[in-house]
Amino acid sequence: MKDCYLGVDIGSISTKGVIIDDNNNIITQAYIWTEGNPTKAVKNLLNILKQNLPDNYQIKGIGTTGSARKLIGLMLKASVVKNEITAHAIGTLTFYPNVRTILEIGGQDSKIILIKNGIITNYAMNTLCAAGTGSFLSSQAKRLGIDVKEFGDYALKSQNPVKIAARCTVFAESDLVHKAQVGYPKEDIIAGLCKSVVLNYLNNVGKGKKIVGPIIFQGGVSKNKGVVKYFKEILKEDIIVDKNSHLMGAIGIAILAKKHKTGKTYSLEMKNLKFQTKAFECHHCPNSCELLKIYRNNVLVDSWGSKCGKY
Amino acid sequence: MNTVGIPRSLFYYYYKDLWQDFFSALKISYIISPITNKEIMDRGLKMSNSEMCLSLKNYLGHVDYLKDKCNYILIPRISNFKNDNQTCTNFWAAYDIVKNLFDINILHYNIDLNQKQTLKKGLYKIGKILNKKPRQIKKAYKYAIIQNNKRIKKNHQINLNKLKSKKTKILLVGHPYNLYDELIGKDIIKYLIKNDIELIYSDKFNPKITNHLSKKISKDLYFKYSKDNLGAIVYCQNQINGVIFISSFPCAPDSLACELAMRKLTIPYLNIVIDDNSSFTGLETRLESFLDMLGGKLND
Repeated sequence: MKDCYLGVDIGSISTKGVIIDDNNNIITQAYIWTEGNPTKAVKNLLNILKQNLPDNYQIKGIGTTGSARKLIGLMLKASVVKNEITAHAIGTLTFYPNVRTILEIGGQDSKIILIKNGIITNYAMNTLCAAGTGSFLSSQAKRLGIDVKEFGDYALKSQNPVKIAARCTVFAESDLVHKAQVGYPKEDIIAGLCKSVVLNYLNNVGKGKKIVGPIIFQGGVSKNKGVVKYFKEILKEDIIVDKNSHLMGAIGIAILAKKHKTGKTYSLEMKNLKFQTKAFECHHCPNSCELLKIYRNNVLVDSWGSKCGKY
Repeated sequence: MNTVGIPRSLFYYYYKDLWQDFFSALKISYIISPITNKEIMDRGLKMSNSEMCLSLKNYLGHVDYLKDKCNYILIPRISNFKNDNQTCTNFWAAYDIVKNLFDINILHYNIDLNQKQTLKKGLYKIGKILNKKPRQIKKAYKYAIIQNNKRIKKNHQINLNKLKSKKTKILLVGHPYNLYDELIGKDIIKYLIKNDIELIYSDKFNPKITNHLSKKISKDLYFKYSKDNLGAIVYCQNQINGVIFISSFPCAPDSLACELAMRKLTIPYLNIVIDDNSSFTGLETRLESFLDMLGGKLND
């Protein structure tokens, strides 16, 4: 039996999973939509991974990252639960030790990580506003009636991207509606959107940061060729997009799980697992904490959200 | 017997000990609204207008809590500390806003050093309104000021000692009414302390020192409290591992101060803007990764 490690990255829009071996080679991978239900998404994810995993491998470590990392960490009894910035940095540095700048745009977060000599020197993340991220692009794709996966191809067709307000996506959206109603072609609007995502990112997250190459662009949005094109154009630098750029967080957390193995063997079988969450509001004091109780096979395993620690 | 109500927000965090010493010395009874809880914050949110910052909304919640529990509510108007040392407009306007929203007695004094309206004159006025004799007031004022100066010195020394610590050191920058408020900055402080971080607070430096130092970041700063905050950064930037700037949405002075700090700082910097979002998840991601970076855990 050979050892392998599972990394799961549960983002707001998509859920990613990879299984790597001892040499960081990807054995199998999966990428599905979260659709607002992380536990269900992870169950589906594990099913896909399990079908593609050769029989001679056993899982020796599980790591979770992404915004639902804590919940899924409990569900899978993960050995490592880490934020996505750390996971992304570790994943990228493993494959590109010379990288100086990591740009990352995900579903609701965007970040920039600056690296010098393999050491992180600074990073920035969007504030709690999700302007100019993947969720904005996918909702606009829906509005325009095209699949978000085709977005990049449309953008590349355009010669004259329309100007779209880049500061705030609420403004951008009304700008976009007006431009569409006036009669601009679809590809020009889409190209304009891609450009506005880049400008928004550089204005909000990248402001004041010195961006030097080699630059790696990752996160779901890095699969959008239009956005990549405008990053290249505006930064006047080459942008590297790894073929696994959307999986980098999952790979990073799998590598971490490998480092922190406990000797335990994990199973991917989730069919019989009953994993439930119940929300309620506690009224014992004026704080009225919103609590979330988590049950695993009807046993309470954890509860979150209490200010006083009563639960 | 008169009872004075002190809202636990805004001014409280600058003058709490001074006021309490003053009132105690004069044997005036006072009541302080409780530590901010959701109910108080909700009260404030309900009656405030959308342009106000979270901290002012919170303040109104505290006033609302106190309105029928005391005879007076203490609300100063702090306009400036001479020349280019203006305070935020909320510190000017709190009195008028409360007067318009509530039907209560307000105990009020001005600090406007351009017009020679000092803290001393203010507290004397309050003592007089509460029927105390000039001799008593003088004694109480003197006592409160001496105690206050001692405290400033002591807090400053505590910060200096912390700067020598061997632990990972983070300078927490922000207005004290945000940093120490239970529903605004307290969760962040708790999280950092839990992770064994030595915290240095920007408001615990001697403002006479920090105010002057802020000129190294910009000579055109307008607001006194921005100067204090940025001066604190200048003061200790070579002795700390990182800076976390906490502000409340949509604070106008901070929007400039945060931006300046971000551009001028060469050490790791994290800016956190708090509104009434109730989830800690997004904050936790930012804090956890920030600490990972400082601790070098990313690189092992």
